[in-house]
Amino acid sequence: MEVPAQTAEIFKILSKGQFISSNSSDKMINTLFNVIDEERNFDKLYEYFLNINFVLEKGEEYFYFSRSETKVDLENKIETAFRWIDIIDFFKTFDNSFSTGYRFTPSEILVRIKTDAELETKLDGLKKHTDKEKHQDILDKILKKLIDETFIELENEITNQYKVLASFKYLEQLILTINIPDEVKNEIPE
Amino acid sequence: MNTFSSIRELLLALYREEKLLTEMFKKRKTTDYKYEYALDLVENNDNKLQYLIDRSVIRQNGNNLEIDDLYLQFFEQVLDANEEINTSYINENLEKVKQNIDYYFNEQNEQRKYEYLRIIKNTLRKIGIITLRNIVDLKRNIDNTFKSEPTYKNKRAKLINLDNKRKGITKLIEQTEYLITEDDITFFRTATDEELTRIIVQLKMQLSKCTHNLIEIERQVIDFLNQIQQQSGVIEKLRQIKYLKDQFILETTTDIKQVVAANKSVIFEPKPNYPLKLSLEYLQTDEVAFASIKKIANRLKLGTKLKHPVADKISDEYLETQFEEEIQINLEEVKNSFVASSHNLFDFVMNYNFIKNVSFDERVTIYCQLVSQYENAFEITEQFAEKDDIEFAMIYPK
Repeated sequence: MEVPAQTAEIFKILSKGQFISSNSSDKMINTLFNVIDEERNFDKLYEYFLNINFVLEKGEEYFYFSRSETKVDLENKIETAFRWIDIIDFFKTFDNSFSTGYRFTPSEILVRIKTDAELETKLDGLKKHTDKEKHQDILDKILKKLIDETFIELENEITNQYKVLASFKYLEQLILTINIPDEVKNEIPE
Repeated sequence: MNTFSSIRELLLALYREEKLLTEMFKKRKTTDYKYEYALDLVENNDNKLQYLIDRSVIRQNGNNLEIDDLYLQFFEQVLDANEEINTSYINENLEKVKQNIDYYFNEQNEQRKYEYLRIIKNTLRKIGIITLRNIVDLKRNIDNTFKSEPTYKNKRAKLINLDNKRKGITKLIEQTEYLITEDDITFFRTATDEELTRIIVQLKMQLSKCTHNLIEIERQVIDFLNQIQQQSGVIEKLRQIKYLKDQFILETTTDIKQVVAANKSVIFEPKPNYPLKLSLEYLQTDEVAFASIKKIANRLKLGTKLKHPVADKISDEYLETQFEEEIQINLEEVKNSFVASSHNLFDFVMNYNFIKNVSFDERVTIYCQLVSQYENAFEITEQFAEKDDIEFAMIYPK
């Protein structure tokens, strides 16, 4: 079967559980996205990876892998999901429009923390995911994790500006798929 | 209320206070432009301000000043900076065209007929320009609202309103097109005027351009509205989920377990590493690999002392002593024997009984060696003798 020349690179990234997002400023990732996004290629790659038990999944402007059987137990997955909920909640508190394409610098967040007690509490709440004490350390660790998971990227090293990638939609989608029964919903205060 | 008596006066007045008006126009969005600020810009001349206020260029409201709406609108429209999209204006012009067409038909006088035709042409030209400008404004406003309006509810409401404006413009375009192609077809057929035809062609082109732009704007508004919907949806959901999570009842009250269990994404898995061995062939042949190997080897050398290589045992054969005999002539002994004798040295050496066979040539050599070594022990005479073509000195012991 003819597969694109970049198949090995695609596999290397996706098999680590990372995403390939359309709006990455990394040229390589961008090229890879365009390669997969071509319909002919997508079908081929889908078939190809299926043979080795990886399902190439297409999200809104991003690609990732899933597989039919996962080795991770439910508890770990819930733990991960909880961590994400805390992190997204923190950033959405910082700015409602924190989503795909959003740009920010850590210093903006740190400055806001000084005047926003709610944000500060939420950052303190993230301590348990980082084992750090200082605000800046916590934030740095969280950002590093998000970079590792390819939800954000460091767009400009000089100004220390980060950019939220298309894969962030994956997290939002995950949040939206959780179903809260109406009777429970009614008990949540506005 | 005073008014300007001529265009020239108006333009002069505006030009005179150009600084003030520019500044006030820039700050038109903020409501309070203080009287004192304005005074600074007109060289503290109260009369100058009063002049503008009297002629309704500027309005005074308590201690605040603002540019009169008439002028503000004029500036904004001319500078393409207006934020109000006014569809009624197009509508008005449309009505005007219709009315004038009626007048045109009723009028018998050619001169006046031409006058109406002129108005119609002007108005049609205006419709095209106004519609296009409205669409440019609309697009800019939609962009601005989406990007800079901070309040969610307002952003949504504003976008919906702008979308309604878009619908209004679309409707007017349709009406205009209907007017020039079907409604008053008799007029446009009968009033054969070249300029009119040109204007209509121009108008049609502008309108079709507008229609295309509107389609794009519609797509964009829908996209923006969806994004806002999605955003606020996510935020609301997130808030609820976070609340439940903080109450420690998220797992029990919602289907998060099922959702997460059904999600088989690789991202949930710990990062795999593939401990594959290196290909031996690669290690043996590749230059880069060789360089790495050398590098690592060097690094290893630093830490540990290398064992000095131990040589093999020396074989016994090499240790065995071996003898080789060589017979040496002891010149000292020969000399001593000679000193004791009475022969001449040459004959003595020739006849000396050496322990090995010594040839004639060797004996001559021994003769020479003895002479040079023990010169002092011998008496060297001036007599010479000859034997076998060798001439030699007669030497006797002392």
